[in-house]
Amino acid sequence: MTRPTVAVHKFSSCDGCQLAFLNAGEALLTLSSLVEIKHFAEAGPVDEDASVNIAFIEGSVSTPDDLERLQKIRQLSNFIVTIGACATSGGLQALRNMADTAQWIAGVYTNPEYIRTLDTSTPIRDHIKVDLELWGCPVSGRQVLAAVRALLFGVTPVEESDKVCMECKRQHTVCVLVARGEACMGPVTRTGCGALCPSFGRECYACYGPAENINTAAMARRLQGLGLVDAEIARRFLFINSGADAFNREGLNWKSES
Amino acid sequence: MNNRHIDINVPVLARVEGEGALDLRIDNGAITDLKLRIYEPPRYFEKFLEGRSYADVADTVARICGICPVAYQMSAINAIESIFKIELTPWARDMRRLMYCGEWLQSHSLHIHMLAAPDFLGYNSVIEMSQEFGDEVRRGLKLQGLGNDLIRLIGGRSVHPVNVRAGGFFHAPEEAKVSEIVGRLKSAQQDAADLVRWTATLDLAEDEQDFTSVSLHHADEYAMNRGRLVSDQGLDIAIDAFDDHFRELHMPQSTALHCLLHDQAYLVGPLARLNNNLDSLPEDTRALLDSTGIAFPSRNMFHSIVARALEIHYALNEAIRLLQNYQRPERAFQDIQIKGGVGYGCTEAPRGFLWHRYELNSNGEVVSARIVPPTSQNQARIEQDIGNALNHFGLDKEDSALQLHAEKVIRNYDPCISCATHFLKMKIDRTTPDTASTDEPVRHDASLPATLIAIGSPYSPDDIAWTLADKLQQNSADKNIKLIKLDRPGTDILNYLKQPGTVYLLDAVLVDSPIQQLIIRRADQFIADNNTISSHDIGLAGALQLAAQLGHDLDNIMVIGIPAIRSGNNISLTIPVEVLLERLGEIFKTQ
Repeated sequence: MTRPTVAVHKFSSCDGCQLAFLNAGEALLTLSSLVEIKHFAEAGPVDEDASVNIAFIEGSVSTPDDLERLQKIRQLSNFIVTIGACATSGGLQALRNMADTAQWIAGVYTNPEYIRTLDTSTPIRDHIKVDLELWGCPVSGRQVLAAVRALLFGVTPVEESDKVCMECKRQHTVCVLVARGEACMGPVTRTGCGALCPSFGRECYACYGPAENINTAAMARRLQGLGLVDAEIARRFLFINSGADAFNREGLNWKSES
Repeated sequence: MNNRHIDINVPVLARVEGEGALDLRIDNGAITDLKLRIYEPPRYFEKFLEGRSYADVADTVARICGICPVAYQMSAINAIESIFKIELTPWARDMRRLMYCGEWLQSHSLHIHMLAAPDFLGYNSVIEMSQEFGDEVRRGLKLQGLGNDLIRLIGGRSVHPVNVRAGGFFHAPEEAKVSEIVGRLKSAQQDAADLVRWTATLDLAEDEQDFTSVSLHHADEYAMNRGRLVSDQGLDIAIDAFDDHFRELHMPQSTALHCLLHDQAYLVGPLARLNNNLDSLPEDTRALLDSTGIAFPSRNMFHSIVARALEIHYALNEAIRLLQNYQRPERAFQDIQIKGGVGYGCTEAPRGFLWHRYELNSNGEVVSARIVPPTSQNQARIEQDIGNALNHFGLDKEDSALQLHAEKVIRNYDPCISCATHFLKMKIDRTTPDTASTDEPVRHDASLPATLIAIGSPYSPDDIAWTLADKLQQNSADKNIKLIKLDRPGTDILNYLKQPGTVYLLDAVLVDSPIQQLIIRRADQFIADNNTISSHDIGLAGALQLAAQLGHDLDNIMVIGIPAIRSGNNISLTIPVEVLLERLGEIFKTQ
């Protein structure tokens, strides 16, 4: 019996989401016996032209070459999974999409043969059809391996879309927003991290992106009630996932027109 | 064999974090071109920080590198705490060091087992290697996992940890969790010692080279989070004096940003650190090192893998020491007072020292940020090393052997491309090509020959290039620069392009709007910008295009355009002569 084939592709990113595989320890060895890893440059195998059953994509689209590569990946892959904030919302580097100064948004390297760059950093979904998006900066090994497992069983993986608040309640974590007045983004942020920041006594900074059915306007007003100035409210939304629609819209509402 | 011409092009370097590529050209038995190209597009992190609160800095800079987020957080938080004049409690200092031990363990183990060892044992990947070397791979995964667990213990998660704040941490780990991990750390002490001995038995190439090792050094401890910057050639400076000795430049003939110490390439990372800090090792770790039979300080970059293994041994034992008598404090942080000012942070990332500088305003918002990561510091050294190593290895070897050897050399440095490249200096290239300018001037490396060709005519202001070139030569500290003045050369310029080193063409260029920067372009870029019109009959761009078609090599040619604007029949310079001279002086390093 032939094993399902897998590729891991990297675009503009910090490499942290690929570590979901490389840090999986024994599970990585198990995985490599269940599937055949065709392309994973950081781990060794390099075969970008191989047809695969599942392709994981880390990183955002930020160069013209990326666009070509993506089309090819789409043609070669049955099922595409984006891993992490960069691939799913454009990532922290999507902040350049709304830069005030044309000077650095249009910045390019001295040597064009060396690197070319687009003005924007955009998610994979903006360019090709994506079958599953895993949010998080970074994604956890649990998320990624659960998705692989589900796909191997032939079922559609389930991605959590609850708010961080729900996770805090489940863990009996005292609410840092209500009890301590921290500018916690938990009410609008997708869980999956295990409500890590509130459990450490600090505010959630929304690294898992928007949850489902959120009320960002109410969130913003609550932050205002805590004493945050408009620009600071904008920065809460426009941070790791500034390219996610819900965050982008609300953030821009509060961003000053200076 | 003498006539062999080969091009080796490795499009994606496997097992390098981030993605890079190497171009190598060998003509007639000599390397004529060697470029380490970097794929990671710029990510502008320093710019994102501007205007943000100091409290966002640690979470932002972590995202520069998923492999060494702790290092970024540590250098940043040190800089911020120095501005706020915070003296950490001994507990907080220990926990910061502990987190770093975790990152060294994690990053070094990942590098040795997943990235480097397959090279030395002849496998394409760790997965292949695990068939034959299952025990070694499992041992590596165990040590890597322990490193991740240590980061998780303090930071909540191993990639982009969430616990660091100015004045300490948000949260102190519970005693039960600490004692659980100490037990597991102790059970891996033997593994770490075995690992060191195992790396020493690998078939490592003999390749002694001359290089300068640079790292932090601290009198009381093996340097991680604090200390002075030292080299084995006598450098010994405070971290805030970095700019007096180190210089970052984008060499026009090269595609990589180089950070140089006193204008020379240098090494950072585990081997440099170990070379400079042998006296700070505890006795048992030192004895283990001596038992390998490899003499340190070492000048063989292939010993880096042994240095990494040794730092794993050190970090593991140091973590045990730091946690041995752990007592959970009542509060994990101290109160802070926000202040404005400039602060520096420098810590030893797994790949070498990582230098940050921040300016904060009195509200604690970032005014400016600067980050010098290890890989851009090693860049010049890597290119130098590949050249030396391949010559030593024998250029007559087969292409595939040369390629593998070059990859091995590169991987000795464990280059982390995602860190290195976000920092490559960008040139501003606005959407209208005729208003191109540089954010950071191109700098000519004084040790290399150069020719400055000033193009002009005797009619003011078109004589500006001649005037500037004359003044520049009077002021220049660099007598290597040959000056040629040409009067409206047209295609005659082709006869002057063949010069040793870089050829700089200085010419007045007409622009649409009165821009304030010099227009600095590589020749091919300059040709591509057809909107850029030289003030001469046969445009410089046209002449260069012709040169390209006639087979001239334009790689070493840079055009420096002096912006001039036309109104009616008048042509005037948009930048005053003194300023032009100053800008050129920056490029050619005049006194």
